[in-house]
Amino acid sequence: MDRRAATSRAVLRRRSVGVVTALTTPGRVPSWWLPVLIAAAGLLVAGGAASAWATCPCAKLPPDGEAARLVTGLSFVGVGLIAMKQRRRRRVGLLMAAVGLTWFVYDLGWVYEPLTYTIGTVGAGLYQPILAHLTVVFPSGRTTSRVDRTVVAGAYALYAIASLGTQTLWDPRDTGCPCPANLLLLHHDSRLYAIADATSSVLLIVVTAAVLGVLVWHWRRSGLPGRRALTPVLASSLPIAALVVATTIVGENFLPPLAALALTALPLGFLAGLVRLQLERAALGSLVMELEGDAPIGRIRDALARTLHDRTLEVAYWMPSEQGYIDAEGRPFPLPAAQPHRSVTLLNHLGQPVAALIHDAAVYDNPDLVDAAAAAARLAIDNERLQAEIRAQLEQVRRSRARIVATADAERRRIERDLHDGAQQRLVTLSLLLGLARDQAASTPHGTLVHALDEAADELRSALAELRELARGIHPAVLSEAGLKPAIEALAERLPVAVVVSSPGTRFDAAVEAAAYFVAAEALTNAVKHAQASMVRVTVTHSAGCLTVEVVDDGAGGADPSLGSGLVGLADRVGALAGRLEMVSERGHGTHLTATIPCPPSLSPTARRVGGVSAEGATGP
Amino acid sequence: MRLRVVLADDSLLFREGLARLLMESGVEVLAQTGNPGQLLSAVRTHEPDMAVVDIRMPPTHTTEGLDAAAEIKRVQPGIGVLVLSQYLETYAAIRVLTSGPGGLGYLLKERVSDLRQFAQAVHRVAAGELVLDQLVVERMVARRRADEPLAALTSREREVLSLMAEGRSNRAICDQLWLGAKTVETHVRSIFSKLELASTADDHRRVLAVLHYLRS
Repeated sequence: MDRRAATSRAVLRRRSVGVVTALTTPGRVPSWWLPVLIAAAGLLVAGGAASAWATCPCAKLPPDGEAARLVTGLSFVGVGLIAMKQRRRRRVGLLMAAVGLTWFVYDLGWVYEPLTYTIGTVGAGLYQPILAHLTVVFPSGRTTSRVDRTVVAGAYALYAIASLGTQTLWDPRDTGCPCPANLLLLHHDSRLYAIADATSSVLLIVVTAAVLGVLVWHWRRSGLPGRRALTPVLASSLPIAALVVATTIVGENFLPPLAALALTALPLGFLAGLVRLQLERAALGSLVMELEGDAPIGRIRDALARTLHDRTLEVAYWMPSEQGYIDAEGRPFPLPAAQPHRSVTLLNHLGQPVAALIHDAAVYDNPDLVDAAAAAARLAIDNERLQAEIRAQLEQVRRSRARIVATADAERRRIERDLHDGAQQRLVTLSLLLGLARDQAASTPHGTLVHALDEAADELRSALAELRELARGIHPAVLSEAGLKPAIEALAERLPVAVVVSSPGTRFDAAVEAAAYFVAAEALTNAVKHAQASMVRVTVTHSAGCLTVEVVDDGAGGADPSLGSGLVGLADRVGALAGRLEMVSERGHGTHLTATIPCPPSLSPTARRVGGVSAEGATGP
Repeated sequence: MRLRVVLADDSLLFREGLARLLMESGVEVLAQTGNPGQLLSAVRTHEPDMAVVDIRMPPTHTTEGLDAAAEIKRVQPGIGVLVLSQYLETYAAIRVLTSGPGGLGYLLKERVSDLRQFAQAVHRVAAGELVLDQLVVERMVARRRADEPLAALTSREREVLSLMAEGRSNRAICDQLWLGAKTVETHVRSIFSKLELASTADDHRRVLAVLHYLRS
């Protein structure tokens, strides 16, 4: 068992989801001489077989039968050579060539010398266990389970036992054949031979069935790419296996010519499987093309999902600063926990994590393709990873801005409440006590004292009024108590210009309400102070997940956003919520300020205690 | 018979002062409470003529007084409710005055410093009238509007309009402005026709119609 599969398995068992592969696997240059040698051997053996058949004085196959045999053997050699052109198909290619070359051992029997005849008869079925081996390990060339290995080992062992067992008991001259002697004949007993022959036939059927069983099992277990390779093999081997079993049961020594020709379908089935895999890999070429240039977010995921035939595929990117994975948008993406049908392929480059593919476990039946796809997409993945990292960092900055604004808002609310419950409350109580004192003084003949207390009460009233306005400026309680609409209307009431307010009476997230309110407040203040507007329109709308505040005045225009720190502060506040602030202010055409703030759907009336709903009802006709 | 009142304010000092003030002006204070729950049970137990309620009370210290007013009106519509607040907000004024039938009022808390006026407001609410702080009305009347419909009113008519919005009856307006009953009626009719409001004999509906007009 090869070490890579061993590592994969170990990792799979440990994390039960993890398969570690490197993006860059070191290449091995395929030797050029081996295919040449195989090709030469194939031609030589086929030529030899043909001439042996032609010169044999025996009762032999008809010409078309022998021709079919030659075609079948050479096809296996040829398909093997084709397969070997790819480094990763070298093992199956060698197995195919071995099937083709051993196929011709049978033809040694045409050479009527005891040695060649004996080798020809005992080795006639040598190709069978090799074919079984090939079928089990196709297309990767490697056994992937204990069942695989058992079936392959069993095929070789049974072949050895069955062929040697029968050969030692078989005397070809029994049938009156003028054949050369069987050099392996130990004991001549035609009854014992018949039993051994029947036993070996049964074993052959059992092995054939086992191999087919493994093939079907592999097919069922495979993802789409694996099935694309296995389907033609399955399609061509099923009828041929049936034929083999049938002729074995009937006891024919030779396959009928047509059946022999049908055997050539088998190498063609393997060839078709390889070609279809090749087409998969060709899709990788287009994957690379597809990933060139600027990629919109998520394009790599889509392209890989297409190439690997896995719609559920997800791509996570490694973020070194967080020591964790993020998605293409930059959001944290914890790798999934162990699941039987999900695999995680970690992609590394130069020993550093780059990304992780989370995919259907079936995709890993074709690890070549995953490797190749990951390698093909490496640059694009690295690029998208960097972009995702920047997005994640931006998101962190935005969140921290939002936190700063929220903290400041909370602090202002706290100060307002402290004022209300502290200084304001005490002064109100003081005014009450002053009133009581004044009344007592009025019932006595202290005219000047009453006057003095009246003056004190007036002063206190002014102080309270100033304190009210101060508290209101720090945080308008009406905003958190009743929402945006009553708060903006309260603003409008206090201004010396006509303000038309239009706003939904529903509640929104507190941070969104605060940002919208301060946008309206600042714009209204500017309209009055700097633009000398006579009319301002404030329109709040909520649609498509955004709250939009528009403030339009008919003032002087020509406002420069860089001049006032108020606008910059507002832009920061709106930006902290991932919103936008835009201002159009042409001289002589008024000012048009628009803030667009992402905002989840309105909170239900019960979510916030106090709604603008009943106030809304009061204004209805 | 003496007016029977319950008080609700979570500031003990203010509550005590308020109770003293009311008692001195001949009002019987049946109970003093610090939160809406106690207020509602005191109202149920004593069945007072009216309740004086602070708008901010536990648990959230926001608008518990508004909810309590509505709840009292729901359970016992005959009991007047006067809501006091350190801030005056138009939306809250509308909510108080529309929370039920009978006497309702919304005043700035510091109005308690003028004993006579405050006692008068308490009695008006107990008598079933609507009482609105003049600061709210001033703000509503002073508010600039695109078509300035109030410009058509004479200054005397504007005074009458403000007093109507504060919840005063024709008789009270007569007393306040030193005018004859006929004159006030003429002003009222003129205001309603200039503002294209449907006139009504019902005082409550007249206040709400005027407020609705001023607010729109």
